[in-house]
Amino acid sequence: MIYRRIRKSPNAFSFQKATMLMLAGIVVLHITTIILLLVATIDNAWWVTDTVSTDLWGRWEMKGSVWHYTNLKDYPEEYLQTVQATSVLACIFAILALFVFVAQLFTLPKGQRFTFTGILQLIACLCVMIAASIYTAELHSTDKQGGYGHSYVLAWISFVFTFLLAITYLVLRKKSE
Amino acid sequence: MLTFLALASVVLLGIVPEQSQAIVIYTGWERHALVGSDIRLSCSFFSWRWTSEDVTFSWTYRPDGSRDSISIFHYTGGAAYVDNKGPFRDRLEFVGNPSRRDGSILIKNLEFSDNGTFTCDAKNPPDIVGRPSSVRLLVFEKVPIQAGVITGAIIGVVLGLLVLIVVIYYLMRFLVARRVFSLSVSKHGKKKKEGSQQRQGPVPPADPSKVAASAVTRG
Repeated sequence: MIYRRIRKSPNAFSFQKATMLMLAGIVVLHITTIILLLVATIDNAWWVTDTVSTDLWGRWEMKGSVWHYTNLKDYPEEYLQTVQATSVLACIFAILALFVFVAQLFTLPKGQRFTFTGILQLIACLCVMIAASIYTAELHSTDKQGGYGHSYVLAWISFVFTFLLAITYLVLRKKSE
Repeated sequence: MLTFLALASVVLLGIVPEQSQAIVIYTGWERHALVGSDIRLSCSFFSWRWTSEDVTFSWTYRPDGSRDSISIFHYTGGAAYVDNKGPFRDRLEFVGNPSRRDGSILIKNLEFSDNGTFTCDAKNPPDIVGRPSSVRLLVFEKVPIQAGVITGAIIGVVLGLLVLIVVIYYLMRFLVARRVFSLSVSKHGKKKKEGSQQRQGPVPPADPSKVAASAVTRG
Protein backbone atom coordinates (compact mmCIF):
# COMPACT_ATOMS: atom_id res chain seq x y z
CA MET A 1 0.00 0.00 0.00
CA ILE A 2 2.66 2.45 1.01
CA TYR A 3 4.71 1.34 -1.94
CA ARG A 4 1.87 2.12 -4.31
CA ARG A 5 1.32 5.51 -2.74
CA ILE A 6 4.93 6.57 -2.95
CA ARG A 7 5.76 5.13 -6.32
CA LYS A 8 4.85 7.27 -9.26
CA SER A 9 2.75 5.91 -12.11
CA PRO A 10 4.68 4.10 -14.90
CA ASN A 11 4.18 7.00 -17.32
CA ALA A 12 5.69 9.44 -14.91
CA PHE A 13 8.60 7.11 -14.22
CA SER A 14 9.52 6.73 -17.89
CA PHE A 15 9.07 10.49 -18.20
CA GLN A 16 11.56 10.96 -15.39
CA LYS A 17 13.98 8.57 -17.10
CA ALA A 18 13.59 10.52 -20.31
CA THR A 19 14.35 13.78 -18.60
CA MET A 20 17.43 12.27 -16.96
CA LEU A 21 18.63 11.06 -20.33
CA MET A 22 17.97 14.44 -21.87
CA LEU A 23 19.82 16.14 -19.06
CA ALA A 24 22.78 13.81 -19.49
CA GLY A 25 22.72 14.42 -23.22
CA ILE A 26 22.73 18.18 -22.77
CA VAL A 27 25.62 18.03 -20.33
CA VAL A 28 27.61 15.75 -22.63
CA LEU A 29 26.95 18.06 -25.57
CA HIS A 30 28.02 21.06 -23.52
CA ILE A 31 31.26 19.39 -22.45
CA THR A 32 31.91 18.38 -26.06
CA THR A 33 31.38 21.98 -27.13
CA ILE A 34 33.84 23.21 -24.52
CA ILE A 35 36.42 20.70 -25.72
CA LEU A 36 35.88 21.75 -29.34
CA LEU A 37 36.27 25.40 -28.43
CA LEU A 38 39.47 24.72 -26.51
CA VAL A 39 40.93 22.69 -29.37
CA ALA A 40 40.00 25.41 -31.86
CA THR A 41 41.66 28.09 -29.75
CA ILE A 42 44.78 26.21 -28.79
CA ASP A 43 45.62 23.78 -31.58
CA ASN A 44 47.70 25.13 -34.38
CA ALA A 45 45.66 24.58 -37.52
CA TRP A 46 43.61 27.60 -38.59
CA TRP A 47 45.31 28.00 -41.91
CA VAL A 48 47.50 25.28 -43.40
CA THR A 49 49.58 25.01 -46.49
CA ASP A 50 52.11 22.34 -47.40
CA THR A 51 54.90 23.94 -45.44
CA VAL A 52 53.14 26.32 -43.08
CA SER A 53 50.67 25.69 -40.29
CA THR A 54 49.40 28.73 -38.50
CA ASP A 55 46.84 29.70 -35.92
CA LEU A 56 46.05 32.67 -33.72
CA TRP A 57 49.23 32.61 -31.68
CA GLY A 58 52.17 31.61 -33.91
CA ARG A 59 53.11 29.74 -37.01
CA TRP A 60 54.99 26.58 -37.76
CA GLU A 61 57.13 26.78 -40.84
CA MET A 62 58.92 23.87 -42.41
CA LYS A 63 62.40 24.81 -43.50
CA GLY A 64 64.33 21.93 -44.97
CA SER A 65 62.24 19.17 -43.36
CA VAL A 66 62.51 20.70 -39.91
CA TRP A 67 59.59 22.56 -38.35
CA HIS A 68 60.31 25.97 -36.84
CA TYR A 69 57.97 27.93 -34.62
CA THR A 70 57.94 31.62 -35.42
CA ASN A 71 55.91 34.71 -34.64
CA LEU A 72 53.01 35.69 -36.81
CA LYS A 73 53.94 38.25 -39.40
CA ASP A 74 52.12 40.27 -42.00
CA TYR A 75 48.93 40.19 -40.00
CA PRO A 76 46.79 43.23 -39.26
CA GLU A 77 47.50 43.41 -35.55
CA GLU A 78 44.18 44.79 -34.36
CA TYR A 79 42.13 42.11 -36.08
CA LEU A 80 44.39 39.31 -34.95
CA GLN A 81 44.21 40.42 -31.34
CA THR A 82 40.43 40.78 -31.55
CA VAL A 83 40.15 37.23 -32.85
CA GLN A 84 42.41 36.03 -30.03
CA ALA A 85 40.37 37.84 -27.41
CA THR A 86 36.97 36.68 -28.65
CA SER A 87 37.97 33.04 -29.01
CA VAL A 88 39.39 33.03 -25.47
CA LEU A 89 36.22 34.74 -24.23
CA ALA A 90 34.09 32.10 -25.98
CA CYS A 91 35.93 29.34 -24.10
CA ILE A 92 35.55 31.21 -20.80
CA PHE A 93 31.82 31.80 -21.28
CA ALA A 94 31.14 28.22 -22.33
CA ILE A 95 32.89 26.89 -19.21
CA LEU A 96 31.07 29.44 -17.04
CA ALA A 97 27.75 28.39 -18.59
CA LEU A 98 28.40 24.78 -17.63
CA PHE A 99 29.05 25.68 -14.01
CA VAL A 100 26.07 28.02 -13.87
CA PHE A 101 23.87 25.30 -15.38
CA VAL A 102 24.87 22.80 -12.72
CA ALA A 103 24.33 25.44 -10.04
CA GLN A 104 20.93 26.40 -11.43
CA LEU A 105 19.89 22.75 -11.50
CA PHE A 106 19.91 22.86 -7.73
CA THR A 107 18.94 26.43 -6.94
CA LEU A 108 16.37 27.38 -9.57
CA PRO A 109 12.74 27.45 -8.45
CA LYS A 110 10.65 24.80 -10.16
CA GLY A 111 9.15 25.66 -13.51
CA GLN A 112 11.60 28.42 -14.34
CA ARG A 113 13.85 28.64 -17.34
CA PHE A 114 17.63 28.48 -17.27
CA THR A 115 17.94 32.01 -18.50
CA PHE A 116 21.32 32.87 -17.05
CA THR A 117 22.90 29.75 -18.52
CA GLY A 118 21.24 30.44 -21.83
CA ILE A 119 22.50 34.01 -21.89
CA LEU A 120 26.08 32.96 -21.09
CA GLN A 121 25.97 30.31 -23.78
CA LEU A 122 24.54 32.83 -26.23
CA ILE A 123 27.41 35.21 -25.50
CA ALA A 124 29.87 32.37 -26.08
CA CYS A 125 28.16 31.66 -29.40
CA LEU A 126 28.41 35.33 -30.34
CA CYS A 127 32.10 35.44 -29.47
CA VAL A 128 32.93 32.39 -31.56
CA MET A 129 30.98 33.85 -34.45
CA ILE A 130 32.85 37.15 -34.20
CA ALA A 131 36.19 35.37 -34.00
CA ALA A 132 35.60 33.09 -36.96
CA SER A 133 34.02 35.85 -39.06
CA ILE A 134 36.85 38.32 -38.54
CA TYR A 135 39.35 35.59 -39.28
CA THR A 136 37.58 34.70 -42.50
CA ALA A 137 37.11 38.26 -43.65
CA GLU A 138 40.38 39.92 -42.78
CA LEU A 139 43.16 37.37 -42.53
CA HIS A 140 44.30 35.18 -45.39
CA SER A 141 41.75 36.70 -47.72
CA THR A 142 44.34 37.16 -50.44
CA ASP A 143 46.41 34.01 -50.02
CA LYS A 144 46.43 31.78 -53.06
CA GLN A 145 47.83 28.63 -51.56
CA GLY A 146 46.59 26.59 -48.71
CA GLY A 147 43.28 26.12 -46.98
CA TYR A 148 41.58 26.30 -43.64
CA GLY A 149 42.72 23.75 -41.12
CA HIS A 150 40.77 21.68 -38.63
CA SER A 151 40.84 24.26 -35.84
CA TYR A 152 38.99 26.68 -38.09
CA VAL A 153 36.39 24.04 -38.95
CA LEU A 154 35.99 23.16 -35.28
CA ALA A 155 35.42 26.81 -34.47
CA TRP A 156 32.44 26.95 -36.82
CA ILE A 157 31.09 23.61 -35.57
CA SER A 158 31.28 24.83 -32.01
CA PHE A 159 29.41 27.97 -33.10
CA VAL A 160 26.52 25.75 -34.24
CA PHE A 161 26.62 23.69 -31.06
CA THR A 162 26.70 26.69 -28.75
CA PHE A 163 23.78 28.22 -30.61
CA LEU A 164 21.71 25.02 -30.25
CA LEU A 165 22.62 24.74 -26.59
CA ALA A 166 21.72 28.36 -25.94
CA ILE A 167 18.29 27.89 -27.50
CA THR A 168 17.85 24.69 -25.48
CA TYR A 169 18.69 26.41 -22.22
CA LEU A 170 16.41 29.32 -22.95
CA VAL A 171 13.50 27.04 -23.79
CA LEU A 172 14.01 24.36 -21.16
CA ARG A 173 12.06 24.67 -17.97
CA LYS A 174 12.97 23.11 -14.70
CA LYS A 175 10.50 20.38 -14.13
CA SER A 176 7.70 21.25 -11.72
CA GLU A 177 6.13 18.38 -9.74
CA MET B 1 90.71 64.42 19.62
CA LEU B 2 90.65 67.36 17.27
CA THR B 3 93.89 66.35 15.65
CA PHE B 4 92.51 62.86 15.15
CA LEU B 5 89.45 64.26 13.43
CA ALA B 6 91.57 66.53 11.26
CA LEU B 7 93.82 63.66 10.24
CA ALA B 8 90.80 61.45 9.47
CA SER B 9 89.14 64.06 7.31
CA VAL B 10 92.33 64.71 5.37
CA VAL B 11 92.79 61.01 4.75
CA LEU B 12 89.15 60.59 3.65
CA LEU B 13 89.31 63.56 1.34
CA GLY B 14 92.47 62.13 -0.06
CA ILE B 15 90.94 58.68 -0.60
CA VAL B 16 87.62 59.72 -2.12
CA PRO B 17 88.96 61.47 -5.20
CA GLU B 18 91.31 58.54 -5.85
CA GLN B 19 88.42 56.08 -5.95
CA SER B 20 85.85 58.11 -7.83
CA GLN B 21 87.76 59.29 -10.82
CA ALA B 22 85.28 57.43 -12.94
CA ILE B 23 82.57 59.51 -14.54
CA VAL B 24 79.24 57.73 -15.12
CA ILE B 25 77.29 58.63 -18.24
CA TYR B 26 73.55 58.05 -18.61
CA THR B 27 71.58 57.85 -21.82
CA GLY B 28 68.47 55.88 -22.67
CA TRP B 29 68.69 52.27 -23.76
CA GLU B 30 66.40 52.34 -26.78
CA ARG B 31 64.23 55.01 -28.33
CA HIS B 32 61.31 54.52 -30.68
CA ALA B 33 60.09 57.25 -32.99
CA LEU B 34 57.90 57.75 -36.02
CA VAL B 35 59.44 58.70 -39.32
CA GLY B 36 59.22 62.44 -39.88
CA SER B 37 59.03 63.28 -36.19
CA ASP B 38 61.65 64.80 -33.88
CA ILE B 39 63.47 62.96 -31.15
CA ARG B 40 65.44 64.22 -28.18
CA LEU B 41 68.37 62.03 -27.20
CA SER B 42 69.27 62.73 -23.61
CA CYS B 43 72.71 62.40 -22.08
CA SER B 44 73.78 63.29 -18.58
CA PHE B 45 76.58 62.26 -16.29
CA PHE B 46 77.45 61.79 -12.67
CA SER B 47 80.77 62.95 -11.32
CA TRP B 48 82.13 63.56 -7.83
CA ARG B 49 83.75 66.75 -9.01
CA TRP B 50 82.09 70.05 -9.55
CA THR B 51 81.08 70.69 -13.13
CA SER B 52 84.14 72.33 -14.61
CA GLU B 53 84.14 74.99 -17.29
CA ASP B 54 86.02 72.64 -19.61
CA VAL B 55 83.27 70.04 -19.59
CA THR B 56 82.87 68.38 -23.00
CA PHE B 57 80.09 66.36 -24.61
CA SER B 58 80.43 64.45 -27.84
CA TRP B 59 77.98 62.33 -29.76
CA THR B 60 78.90 59.74 -32.36
CA TYR B 61 76.62 57.81 -34.66
CA ARG B 62 76.93 54.27 -36.00
CA PRO B 63 74.31 53.23 -38.58
CA ASP B 64 72.65 49.82 -38.27
CA GLY B 65 74.76 47.24 -40.00
CA SER B 66 77.86 49.39 -40.25
CA ARG B 67 81.01 49.10 -38.19
CA ASP B 68 82.21 52.69 -38.53
CA SER B 69 80.98 55.51 -36.41
CA ILE B 70 81.11 59.14 -37.27
CA SER B 71 81.18 62.08 -34.96
CA ILE B 72 78.13 64.27 -35.17
CA PHE B 73 78.27 66.64 -32.22
CA HIS B 74 80.86 68.16 -29.95
CA TYR B 75 80.54 70.67 -27.14
CA THR B 76 83.70 72.20 -25.73
CA GLY B 77 84.92 75.46 -24.30
CA GLY B 78 81.37 76.74 -23.92
CA ALA B 79 80.49 76.30 -27.63
CA ALA B 80 78.48 73.60 -29.39
CA TYR B 81 79.55 72.27 -32.80
CA VAL B 82 76.90 70.39 -34.75
CA ASP B 83 77.19 68.22 -37.81
CA ASN B 84 77.29 70.32 -40.98
CA LYS B 85 78.58 67.79 -43.49
CA GLY B 86 77.29 64.39 -42.47
CA PRO B 87 73.89 62.72 -42.51
CA PHE B 88 72.47 65.06 -39.87
CA ARG B 89 73.35 68.44 -41.38
CA ASP B 90 70.69 71.04 -40.69
CA ARG B 91 68.76 68.52 -38.61
CA LEU B 92 70.75 68.52 -35.40
CA GLU B 93 70.30 70.94 -32.55
CA PHE B 94 71.85 71.18 -29.13
CA VAL B 95 69.17 71.40 -26.42
CA GLY B 96 71.24 70.55 -23.39
CA ASN B 97 72.49 72.59 -20.47
CA PRO B 98 76.14 71.80 -19.77
CA SER B 99 76.20 73.62 -16.46
CA ARG B 100 73.46 71.22 -15.34
CA ARG B 101 75.34 68.26 -16.79
CA ASP B 102 72.81 67.82 -19.59
CA GLY B 103 74.20 67.14 -23.03
CA SER B 104 71.03 66.30 -24.94
CA ILE B 105 70.60 66.75 -28.66
CA LEU B 106 67.51 67.07 -30.80
CA ILE B 107 67.26 65.36 -34.20
CA LYS B 108 64.53 66.73 -36.43
CA ASN B 109 62.64 65.13 -39.29
CA LEU B 110 63.71 61.53 -38.79
CA GLU B 111 64.36 59.27 -41.74
CA PHE B 112 64.63 55.51 -41.99
CA SER B 113 68.36 55.84 -42.56
CA ASP B 114 68.69 57.27 -39.03
CA ASN B 115 68.27 53.83 -37.52
CA GLY B 116 71.40 53.11 -35.53
CA THR B 117 73.31 53.57 -32.31
CA PHE B 118 74.13 56.98 -30.84
CA THR B 119 76.95 57.14 -28.31
CA CYS B 120 77.42 59.97 -25.85
CA ASP B 121 80.79 60.62 -24.26
CA ALA B 122 81.14 63.26 -21.58
CA LYS B 123 84.27 64.49 -19.84
CA ASN B 124 84.45 66.61 -16.74
CA PRO B 125 88.13 67.49 -16.21
CA PRO B 126 89.91 66.26 -14.16
CA ASP B 127 87.32 63.47 -14.06
CA ILE B 128 87.85 61.95 -17.44
CA VAL B 129 87.91 58.21 -16.97
CA GLY B 130 84.56 56.77 -17.91
CA ARG B 131 82.68 54.57 -20.31
CA PRO B 132 80.57 56.16 -23.05
CA SER B 133 76.91 55.21 -23.06
CA SER B 134 74.87 54.27 -26.12
CA VAL B 135 71.23 54.64 -27.05
CA ARG B 136 69.66 52.75 -29.93
CA LEU B 137 67.24 54.59 -32.19
CA LEU B 138 64.45 52.74 -33.98
CA VAL B 139 62.42 54.59 -36.57
CA PHE B 140 58.97 53.22 -37.41
CA GLU B 141 56.48 53.96 -40.09
CA LYS B 142 53.70 53.54 -37.59
CA VAL B 143 53.96 52.74 -33.92
CA PRO B 144 53.53 48.98 -33.54
CA ILE B 145 50.88 47.69 -31.17
CA GLN B 146 52.40 45.60 -28.47
CA ALA B 147 51.47 41.97 -28.57
CA GLY B 148 48.43 41.22 -26.48
CA VAL B 149 47.42 44.73 -25.46
CA ILE B 150 44.16 44.70 -27.40
CA THR B 151 43.53 41.05 -26.49
CA GLY B 152 43.92 41.70 -22.80
CA ALA B 153 41.85 44.87 -22.97
CA ILE B 154 38.91 43.16 -24.68
CA ILE B 155 38.94 40.17 -22.33
CA GLY B 156 39.26 42.37 -19.27
CA VAL B 157 36.47 44.72 -20.27
CA VAL B 158 34.01 41.96 -21.15
CA LEU B 159 34.63 39.96 -17.99
CA GLY B 160 34.50 43.12 -15.92
CA LEU B 161 31.15 44.04 -17.46
CA LEU B 162 29.84 40.55 -16.72
CA VAL B 163 30.87 40.75 -13.07
CA LEU B 164 29.42 44.24 -12.83
CA ILE B 165 26.08 43.18 -14.30
CA VAL B 166 25.80 40.18 -11.98
CA VAL B 167 26.68 42.28 -8.95
CA ILE B 168 24.20 44.98 -9.90
CA TYR B 169 21.47 42.40 -10.53
CA TYR B 170 21.87 40.77 -7.14
CA LEU B 171 22.21 44.15 -5.46
CA MET B 172 18.95 45.35 -7.01
CA ARG B 173 17.18 42.19 -5.94
CA PHE B 174 18.53 42.53 -2.44
CA LEU B 175 17.62 46.21 -2.20
CA VAL B 176 14.15 45.75 -3.61
CA ALA B 177 13.49 42.82 -1.30
CA ARG B 178 14.58 44.84 1.69
CA ARG B 179 12.60 47.91 0.76
CA VAL B 180 9.40 46.08 -0.02
CA PHE B 181 9.78 43.84 3.00
CA SER B 182 9.56 46.85 5.28
CA LEU B 183 6.50 48.06 3.38
CA SER B 184 4.69 44.72 3.19
CA VAL B 185 4.21 44.67 6.95
CA SER B 186 1.38 47.19 6.45
CA LYS B 187 0.17 45.74 3.14
CA HIS B 188 0.56 42.14 4.23
CA GLY B 189 -2.91 41.06 3.18
CA LYS B 190 -2.74 42.71 -0.22
CA LYS B 191 0.57 41.09 -1.10
CA LYS B 192 -0.67 37.63 -0.17
CA LYS B 193 -3.70 38.03 -2.43
CA GLU B 194 -1.48 39.01 -5.34
CA GLY B 195 0.65 35.98 -4.65
CA SER B 196 -2.23 33.55 -4.81
CA GLN B 197 -3.40 35.09 -8.08
CA GLN B 198 0.00 34.42 -9.56
CA ARG B 199 -0.05 30.76 -8.64
CA GLN B 200 -0.77 29.78 -12.23
CA GLY B 201 2.34 31.58 -13.38
CA PRO B 202 5.78 30.06 -13.17
CA VAL B 203 6.63 31.63 -9.84
CA PRO B 204 5.10 29.84 -6.87
CA PRO B 205 4.65 31.96 -3.74
CA ALA B 206 7.68 30.71 -1.88
CA ASP B 207 8.10 33.62 0.51
CA PRO B 208 6.58 37.08 0.61
CA SER B 209 9.77 38.94 -0.18
CA LYS B 210 10.38 36.90 -3.34
CA VAL B 211 6.75 37.32 -4.43
CA ALA B 212 6.95 41.04 -3.87
CA ALA B 213 10.24 41.22 -5.71
CA SER B 214 8.86 39.39 -8.74
CA ALA B 215 5.75 41.55 -8.60
CA VAL B 216 7.89 44.66 -8.69
CA THR B 217 10.11 43.38 -11.51
CA ARG B 218 7.15 42.33 -13.60
CA GLY B 219 5.25 45.55 -13.14
